[in-house]
Amino acid sequence: MKFPNPFRLPPLDPKLKVVGSTPIFQDCTRQELENLKPYLHERNYLAGEIVFDEGEEGEGVYIVVSGKFRVSRKGMLKKKNLGEILPGECFGEIALLKSIPRLATVVAEEPSVAFALFRSELERLADSRPRLGFKVAIQVARLMSGRLQRLLEGNSDSHIFS
Amino acid sequence: MNQEIKLPQPRRLEHPVIWIGVIGGTLGSIVLLDRIAWLALPLILAVVLYYLVHPFLLRLQHWGVSPNHSLGIFLILASLLCVVASLTVLPAMLNSLSRFQTNLPDTMQRLTQIASEFLQNIESRFPLAKRAGLSAGLQARIDFFAQGRATQFAGDAALFGFKWLPSLLLVPFLTFFFLRDGTAFHQMILRAVPNAFFEKTLLLFDRMNRQMHAYFRGMFWLTVLDTVSLGIGLWLLGLGMGIFTLWQALLLGLVCAVFAWVPYLGTAVGGLVAICVCALQAPHHPQLLLGVVLLFCGVRLLDEFVYTPATVGRALHVHPLVTVMMIFAGGMLGGVYGLLLALPLLGIFTVLGQMFGEIWFDSRLRARHTARNLLEKRLASNDLDL
Repeated sequence: MKFPNPFRLPPLDPKLKVVGSTPIFQDCTRQELENLKPYLHERNYLAGEIVFDEGEEGEGVYIVVSGKFRVSRKGMLKKKNLGEILPGECFGEIALLKSIPRLATVVAEEPSVAFALFRSELERLADSRPRLGFKVAIQVARLMSGRLQRLLEGNSDSHIFS
Repeated sequence: MNQEIKLPQPRRLEHPVIWIGVIGGTLGSIVLLDRIAWLALPLILAVVLYYLVHPFLLRLQHWGVSPNHSLGIFLILASLLCVVASLTVLPAMLNSLSRFQTNLPDTMQRLTQIASEFLQNIESRFPLAKRAGLSAGLQARIDFFAQGRATQFAGDAALFGFKWLPSLLLVPFLTFFFLRDGTAFHQMILRAVPNAFFEKTLLLFDRMNRQMHAYFRGMFWLTVLDTVSLGIGLWLLGLGMGIFTLWQALLLGLVCAVFAWVPYLGTAVGGLVAICVCALQAPHHPQLLLGVVLLFCGVRLLDEFVYTPATVGRALHVHPLVTVMMIFAGGMLGGVYGLLLALPLLGIFTVLGQMFGEIWFDSRLRARHTARNLLEKRLASNDLDL
């Protein structure tokens, strides 16, 4: 007969697992991800639905849980397609640091689910859990510096603009 | 060729429809809250308590305590505080109330005598006041009050207490659930918001939350500062005459600071209460009364130029003319409720109006919402032979 192990933690919510696999939250512990959960807003998008427009004031980051999103940017003559974002990736990270206009438009390519995390809520969470706030901030900074480096080397990708 | 999409600039608070909405919403809410006062009062008090207690819980979480445990610790501390208060402060309060009841006729008589002497003094100096019959008028009013009205008022006051007691018992209950489920409730409301308006709505909630947080915390600190300034001032004024102990002066300061929650009028009423108390305690020291008047004027100036800008002032960016008009309108529509709630409600509706202007008059957001509805409709009718 198998007895339940009282010390084994219940399995982590699969959606939170996806969040934990994104570059921004990869350093977070299980407990920190659980603490983050009340601040994650689950949004469902239909194929062809716009998540945000280029030039719109950005307030937070989106973490793709399922589906696919396409990133595009206005070009001189035509819309420039910058690539796609898949589950386990995120877009709009710059807005976690500062309220600035979005650098690209993001549209759902197929029915998709994303978690939204907003700057104001992350700030509030960081007030009560500074360690978590520090981890997220340092990861966003690393991500940004990596992208800046790639941009300077001439290898721009979709995420630079989101 | 790519068509350049120029995002339209949203219209903000200057739109007249929004301004009318802000003022109408504030006044409408005052009327509504006045109608359902038995429910509104505990709700408002619970919200105030929530904003005062929440930073304490955040502080505990900052030290590594989980949200549920921090709430538990707070409940234990609050219960202990209630027990200690009921064992120490409550008997003293009941004792004071009983003494107040015994001394009331004597106090009233002395107060009447002081007021009559003061009015007679004025009448002897100003013939116009004598012709108006100020002293006789006051005496007539006091006689009318004494003939049975006092008993009726006492009865009304007792009934008032019984009426509000069950309602006030709801306050800790509501505060507990606000603290425990506030985030989940916030999430639930946001889930109902369409994708197109979601970010802006969240921004609205955040601004509103910050506004209320700043206002209630500001009011709390303003009350503390007023209490200390008035209490110490009154204590120093009465030092040579042995009128107050420091604690009594602080208590009187607290009463006046609470009156000052009603903007403009409250300070005057508080000042009047302090003058009455001082006149009763030291009737033959007119310089003390002058000192109290000067103290209140000084604290009012401190309030205006130092305390309020440092505490509440930064929370509400409303023009003083609008503020005064709203306070009077609030007082007319909702009595004491209206006076107290006019400013916080105006602050909330101003933020709501600003955000509504940014969301509703933003044609791009509305177009995106319409596009989502069309996509949904197309998806739903995909397999139908229309």
